[in-house]
Amino acid sequence: MRSRYAMVCSSNQNRSMEAHALLKREGFDVSSYGTGSHVKLPGPSLREPNVYDFGTPYKHMFDELRRKDPDLYKRNGILPMLKRNMSVKLAPQRWQDNSSDGPFDVVLTFEEKVFDMVLEDLNNREQILMKTVLVINLEVKDNHEEAATGAQLALDLCREVFDWLYFMY
Amino acid sequence: MASSRDQALSLLAAANNHGDLAVKLSSLRQARDILLAIDPALASDLLPYLAELQSSPEALVRKSLAETIEELGLKMLEHSCVLMPVLLAFLRDVDSMVAKQSIISGTKIFCRVLEEMTVQLNIRGKIERWLEDMWLSMLKFRENIVTTAMEPGCISTRLLALKFLERYVLLFTPDNNELGKPLPEGGQVFNVSRLSGSHSIIDPVLLMSEAGMILDYLLDMLSMASGLPGCLAIAVINCLASIGRKRPQHFSTVFAALLAFDSNCETGKRYHAASVRYSLRTAFLGFLRCTSPTILESRERLLGTLRAMNAGDAAEQVIRQVEKLARNAERASRDARLVKEDHSSSQISAHGSLIKKRPISQDEEMLAHNLEVASKRGRYIADTNSTFSGQQTADSGHGSTSANGVSPNVSILNGDLSPVEQMIAMIGALLAEGERGAESLEILISKIHPDLLADIVITNMKHLPKIPPPLTRLGKSEVIGQLGSASSPAQVAAPSFLPASSVPSPMSAMQIPYSSASITSESSPEASIVNSVSADSKRDPRRDPRRQDPRLAVPPEAVLPTVVDFGDVQSKLDDFNSNKPQLSAMVGGKTASSPLLSKKKSDDEILGSSLHGTSELIPKEVVQDGFQETKPTAEVGLSSDVAFSSEQITEDDIVKAEDIQMDESETPSNVELDHSPPAVANMAAFEETGKDLPVVPSYIELNGEQEASVRKLLFEQIMESCKHPNGKECGRMGMSLIARLVAQSAAADDLVEMLKNHILEDYQLQKGHELVLEVLYYLYSISGSDSAESSACAVTYEKFLLEMAESLLLKFPASDKSLSRLLGEAPVLPSSVLKLLDDLCNSDISDYHGKSLRDADRVTQGLGAVWSLILGRSHYRQSCLDIALKCALHSQEEIRAKAIRLVANKLFQLSYVAETIEHFAKSMLFSAVNQNASDVEACQPGLNEQLDEGKIGSQNTSSSGSQVPFSEAATFESESIGGAQPLAQGISSLSLSEAQRLISLFFALCMKKPSLLRLVFDAYGQAPRPVKQAVHRHIPVLVRALGSSYSELLQIISDPPQGSENLLMLVLQILTEETVPSPDLITTVKHLYETKLKDVSILIPMLPSFSKSEVLPIFPQMVNLPPDKFQKALAHILQGSAHTGPALTPAEVLVAIHDIVPEKDGVLLKKVMDACSTCFEQRTVFTQQVLAKALNQMVDRTPLPLLFMRTVIQAIDAFPALVDFVMEILSKLVSKQIWKMPKLWVGFLKCVSQTQPHSFGVLLQLPPPQLESSLNKYASLRGPLAAFASQPNIRASLPRMTLSVLGLTSETHVQQPHVASSLASGASSSVHGTTMT
Repeated sequence: MRSRYAMVCSSNQNRSMEAHALLKREGFDVSSYGTGSHVKLPGPSLREPNVYDFGTPYKHMFDELRRKDPDLYKRNGILPMLKRNMSVKLAPQRWQDNSSDGPFDVVLTFEEKVFDMVLEDLNNREQILMKTVLVINLEVKDNHEEAATGAQLALDLCREVFDWLYFMY
Repeated sequence: MASSRDQALSLLAAANNHGDLAVKLSSLRQARDILLAIDPALASDLLPYLAELQSSPEALVRKSLAETIEELGLKMLEHSCVLMPVLLAFLRDVDSMVAKQSIISGTKIFCRVLEEMTVQLNIRGKIERWLEDMWLSMLKFRENIVTTAMEPGCISTRLLALKFLERYVLLFTPDNNELGKPLPEGGQVFNVSRLSGSHSIIDPVLLMSEAGMILDYLLDMLSMASGLPGCLAIAVINCLASIGRKRPQHFSTVFAALLAFDSNCETGKRYHAASVRYSLRTAFLGFLRCTSPTILESRERLLGTLRAMNAGDAAEQVIRQVEKLARNAERASRDARLVKEDHSSSQISAHGSLIKKRPISQDEEMLAHNLEVASKRGRYIADTNSTFSGQQTADSGHGSTSANGVSPNVSILNGDLSPVEQMIAMIGALLAEGERGAESLEILISKIHPDLLADIVITNMKHLPKIPPPLTRLGKSEVIGQLGSASSPAQVAAPSFLPASSVPSPMSAMQIPYSSASITSESSPEASIVNSVSADSKRDPRRDPRRQDPRLAVPPEAVLPTVVDFGDVQSKLDDFNSNKPQLSAMVGGKTASSPLLSKKKSDDEILGSSLHGTSELIPKEVVQDGFQETKPTAEVGLSSDVAFSSEQITEDDIVKAEDIQMDESETPSNVELDHSPPAVANMAAFEETGKDLPVVPSYIELNGEQEASVRKLLFEQIMESCKHPNGKECGRMGMSLIARLVAQSAAADDLVEMLKNHILEDYQLQKGHELVLEVLYYLYSISGSDSAESSACAVTYEKFLLEMAESLLLKFPASDKSLSRLLGEAPVLPSSVLKLLDDLCNSDISDYHGKSLRDADRVTQGLGAVWSLILGRSHYRQSCLDIALKCALHSQEEIRAKAIRLVANKLFQLSYVAETIEHFAKSMLFSAVNQNASDVEACQPGLNEQLDEGKIGSQNTSSSGSQVPFSEAATFESESIGGAQPLAQGISSLSLSEAQRLISLFFALCMKKPSLLRLVFDAYGQAPRPVKQAVHRHIPVLVRALGSSYSELLQIISDPPQGSENLLMLVLQILTEETVPSPDLITTVKHLYETKLKDVSILIPMLPSFSKSEVLPIFPQMVNLPPDKFQKALAHILQGSAHTGPALTPAEVLVAIHDIVPEKDGVLLKKVMDACSTCFEQRTVFTQQVLAKALNQMVDRTPLPLLFMRTVIQAIDAFPALVDFVMEILSKLVSKQIWKMPKLWVGFLKCVSQTQPHSFGVLLQLPPPQLESSLNKYASLRGPLAAFASQPNIRASLPRMTLSVLGLTSETHVQQPHVASSLASGASSSVHGTTMT
């Protein structure tokens, strides 16, 4: 049976999506989520982030930001990122709201806070499925370069874990 | 129908026998579909065939079968009993995949069966036969899973088994939160609290006690977790955490166990240690999120533990979240109350439910959640507030129709019964059943968790008669006497825990009569309406770590009866025909033989025996808190002996380690009861009402000396045991013990000294460090508390830390990192320790004679420590930074350099201190510039004051105002101008080294941040001479280091502050040294010259890159410069760049000099002459040929340069060989009628006179009048010239007029027109002739 992987970061934009895209390309059964209360993207200044609800399509964000300030968002890599995300899935998903997505075998988080939230959520869930899940935190800074490195590491790790799951379980 | 049956049969056969696995699986699937589709009764016939598949050799088939069984079971529970053995068998399947599936399937069926039974029982009051059978299989299933979980085996299977156990405990522990809620639709979530009444098959009480057992299993597993694989340990922790969170009645047990595990697991070296710790952390954080009051009570401890795990931040975040929720909840409950007030009084009774109902109408999920919390909270608040009404109800009996308007509330409160009350209610119900109930009651009580049992007893005590029975025998009086000495009444409640605490194992059936009796005595109707508050008020003090909290104190009058009532219980116990002698004997026996104690034995043996050996061992008064503590610890002790001790130790109000109570007459095994004897003793006191027991050991107070010696002995023992190679476990405990010992022996230096030596012995093995930290953290935690010894501990803490730090310094070489590590990890750093660091960094390393006082590496060590503190301890950042900065001003250069390296290269990179450093460096620079040395000294130590920018600013402006007049005088390069120097000296008595001390740091910073350089330029103008000198020393290094990135410099250069010209020159000089100045620089400098600074000397460094057309316009200014500068300029001009060659050739230079017109160019003639002289001095450059070339060019000029003749004369002086050439020049001049240019004419004559006899030819070319005048001027020429001219060949060529001037007129005047040409040739030949001679 194919193992299912979940990539989880805060906003389901950069780190988890980078990993999602990569693992998807490599043929993994992978999903991605965010654990924050909202999707936050950098804005013109630190104090003015662009805030969206989970479920807002990437395309929508893309169009809106392109309308707002195409130069800025192109320069800081947000537009290219959103474009990439559009090609991976429709909209960012919130981990806590998508428990029905079914059991994962491996959950990779990219930040300790996210890891904690995933654990908290898992602990609070009604435990019906009785399935074990491996939750791993891979600390990755939230920028494009680190996300790329992190995704590669995530891929390597998932390959290893895949072998392990395959042989041990 | 029949066909589908046949079809199913054939499919099953295929699933069993077919050769291909895929076919088997798909057949099984199809068969399943058919079975699910047809009538259950029909299908049930086929199930035995299905069950046959269990022996299938393929694991996948078996797994699939398990899944099928699950589906069928859930659909047609009634018929699936036949399949249950298959599931049971699969639990032990060789393939873990199958075993896992069977657990999953079994769990689901288990829950389904329970639900079904609840429905049947609650609705019909009985359970059908088939369901009973199912249930029995389920019980077997549970047993098997317990075995699976406990026994070694496949980890993943065990994980699932553990999960099942968790589920089981949750199912069968009453869920308080659910009580008030309506049953969820479909009755999905079963809980034992939904079972009403009991049944022979499914007895809620029994089930609950079994759940307690399962919990105990889990706790046992946790205590052995160090031997478990990591993921199992994590799973156990998660299961327990989940239980603790969801069932607050178990929280304290679980929490204590986890805490014990936490302190225990640090020493273990297992795989996944980090993950295990993380799971603990997650568990604790999960607890923090809970709002249950039981858990809230432990919040402080949770926080403390989390902080110790470095999860303080996360913990605080959680608390904030929770508080936010709570605030919202309060708001919501306020709203609810308002709504309530609007309602008529008849609805008041709905108070509780109202809050609960309201949220249902809300749509917003979030709000609903908040309100849910609110309703819980509200309930608790209601509970506490209703003490009075509860009391009233109790007084007025069970009359629910009481006139009291509040009475309807009672029923609502009843709906929110605490587990204890439920249990009491249940016991009451059982008692009401009479004979039949007694049996169940017995079982129930034997299985009740000790904790719960204790609570039950306490809760019930409230209802005992108020009239004290006569106090009989010594036991009573002693108890009361003891109570009299107790300061907190809370303690009084403690004795009642004893029965429970002495029964750590739920299996100890011996206890039954006693407990049941005590409870039976309470079988009055009141039992069912116990108010939870009374239970809480008595339970709180025990759970609250700060038991001395006065708020929780109950007035003593209220308490004494309680104790006495206990006696009453016992008297009733007699009435109830219980065999008390048996009981007391049992209790007595238990103290010696309880498994807990025997486990504990091995650990304490050393301790106990050593104590036994001393003669000082006199039992001492036991602190009351320890007394109370006994119970929880006993529970923990059950699961782990190590946990026992560590648990006890981690308690705040613990039995003091040395408060060991013992009786010399007792056996060693009794001696080991060091922590629990109070319980035993008191127990004995109580039991003595019925039976004679050994005399109660009396408590004798140790005097200070004895205490000290016991302490010391203990200490030695612990250390001894720690040295043991296998003392790993004990090492951990030993550390904790030592920490406490140190905390108590604040005054005893020898102990600290011993400890120090001990620690230093094996510091390198890391153990020392851990021990020190353990001690420090403990001392710190005490000193932070409100307790009396806190101040003493603070002192001890400081002293200990300081001494440790000093001894580390002494003992280890400077390269050792221990000190840094210690300071980095110690909880707080008192000022004395910072002082130590300061000394380490800032005291001199050598005396005035250069003799080394100490190792310079120590400074490095100190600075290293300071660095790591700045990085890691934000709280001490400022102090440490002060140390580093102070050190960066150290008078000894070696130290200073080290500190500056640290500050500039490392610290300055840190954004959070960079600004401070910059301010400091600036203020030092300014102070050097503006202040007298004494002032500088004065403002050094207080860094913060100097950081006050306003002050700096004002200093700056005021001084710049006053010092402006000096700035020119102090121009440094012109030091040869004598007057300026004394003036500059007068401003400041700074020495050069002092100036360097102050500004070095700033220059180091400039290196990192070139924009600071401007300040140097700004300040330079006003700086006293030593500072300037110091600047001059620093700037070359700096400028070179800045190298290519001198954009900052360019800016400064383009607009240099006033007074900084010399510095600017220096910088330019450095910039152009050995390199070609960049075009930017050249442009900038040129621009500066053209706009602001008219001093051409700034261009000098650029000259090599200038072209001829650029140099020529500024050449006159250059000539006007002082000779040394001109010389430099000249050199640069002639040097040129590699690309373009020199701007001017030497000849061109000479010409340029001569082209200067003093009046027009504003250059003194003297300067021009000096310039010429300068040129002539450089004979290697201005060679004969160069001169000839220059002169040749100049002679053709009209007008002739003013200094031309002078240069000719100088040329001939310098190079006599030029004489022929000069003569040619002179002839040319004659032809140019030189006599018409008076200034040159003089020079011409002088030259002619100096160059005779070579110049005779030229002289003779002069027209006679000019010849005449020249001879008149230089009379000495006449004779030789006449002699020369009278030579026949020359005379012949001379005109008659000339001859007549010479007095040779007698001769004929022939060939007159011929004269000029022949004369010229003749003259030249004659000159040649003379040179030959």
